[in-house]
Amino acid sequence: MSERLVLDKATILDRLGGDEEIFTVMADMYLQDCDNYCRELDSALGDDDAPRLYREAHTVKGLLATFADDAGTALASDLEQRAKVAASTAGFVAEVAALKARMSLLADALRQDGGG
Amino acid sequence: MHTVLIIDDNDINLTLAKALVQRLGDCQPLTFDRPREALEWCRANEADLVVVDYMMPDMDGLQFIAAFRALPGREDIPILMVTANDQRDIRYEALEGGANDFLNKPIDRVEFSARARNMLALRSSRKFLADRAHHLEVLVEERTAAIREREKELIVRISRAAEFRDPETGAHIQRMAHYSHLIAQTLGLPERDCRLILEAAPMHDVGKIGIPDYILLKPGRLTPEEFEIMKGHARLGYELLTGSGSAVLQAGAQIACSHHEKFDGSGYPGGLVGPAIPLFGRIVAVADVFDALTSERPYKKAWSLDDAAKFLRDGAGKHFDPDCVEAFLRSWEQALAIHQRFRDAEEPVF
Repeated sequence: MSERLVLDKATILDRLGGDEEIFTVMADMYLQDCDNYCRELDSALGDDDAPRLYREAHTVKGLLATFADDAGTALASDLEQRAKVAASTAGFVAEVAALKARMSLLADALRQDGGG
Repeated sequence: MHTVLIIDDNDINLTLAKALVQRLGDCQPLTFDRPREALEWCRANEADLVVVDYMMPDMDGLQFIAAFRALPGREDIPILMVTANDQRDIRYEALEGGANDFLNKPIDRVEFSARARNMLALRSSRKFLADRAHHLEVLVEERTAAIREREKELIVRISRAAEFRDPETGAHIQRMAHYSHLIAQTLGLPERDCRLILEAAPMHDVGKIGIPDYILLKPGRLTPEEFEIMKGHARLGYELLTGSGSAVLQAGAQIACSHHEKFDGSGYPGGLVGPAIPLFGRIVAVADVFDALTSERPYKKAWSLDDAAKFLRDGAGKHFDPDCVEAFLRSWEQALAIHQRFRDAEEPVF
């Protein structure tokens, strides 16, 4: 996985009908909520709560897809599918860490885009 | 202005959907991050479109749709469900459960706008049809009521036409109609029949229009020949009113023809006995005679109410149907109220 994420803003804006205002609002929200999503993933992992990990991975998948992060979406999707049928979260430590790192990269890219 | 309900447990998705709805124009977005709260809102309010996410804690999109569709009057409100592309089984289930269309994640503005507009157009068409059906229903009710009012007015005027040629007053017609109504109610007749007799009884003597003045207005006693002509008013009234499509006029025809029949068969014009006399005729006979006795006329004083009641009691089984007399006397207090309410020289009120 790359250490840097290149924001595919053209695709994001295309989906938003070219609406920069919506993009800015959503990017701000993501930056505010990113840590919370990471904490929720850690919490599900720590509580060994596979169904919750499945739900959180699903949510993150949707978010990353919204920001056109296909590689991140694939990571989240993989975690989601595996957690869905898992009895325990024990085998997902590395996947969760990778997903969180990807979320962090997206946050960096959004910050950079917004000059923040 | 359309109300678009958006339900998603994720703030970013809610914000995105809200912004897209605002950009549709003429739409008011209403967001809920908890499906149960949205459902609570839906119990008392009506949305024009519901956009609901599938995966939510506590209650998922499928459960929400099932609960929403179970609410009264929410069967036709369009629902768009937001799902991921790979959730085909969920989509099938949602369709079965009452979703109308789907939105793919990540939400695309063009797709969202097109699907939302389609759903809102569907909603508008359904509302238009429902409103039009309701409008037509109200219109038919109004027109029917207007026709009924005209019919009632016509009946009052027919009844008054007979009055012009008869010393009996408008108040007599009012009282005997209301006494008839009272007897019908006390006998337990259906409300429709009670209304019918109230409206039709005033026409009981309409046949007097066809009786020559020298008999109708004769101050003294009628000769047997004159009385025979006078008795003809029952059939004349019947012939005047019969054959109408109006239930009130049909009842009027029956009453005109039968209100001078007597329970023991000694009445006219048919000499009918007991239950062979139509019930409306038997009822009106009691009401008409009681009011004639208790009214003052140029040729007689008014009887006391008690004397008139005694006359009815004595005539039960002979002149009158005993059940009708008993019903009338059983409702004596209400009969007295009618007697007090309609004094002579009052305008007809039906």
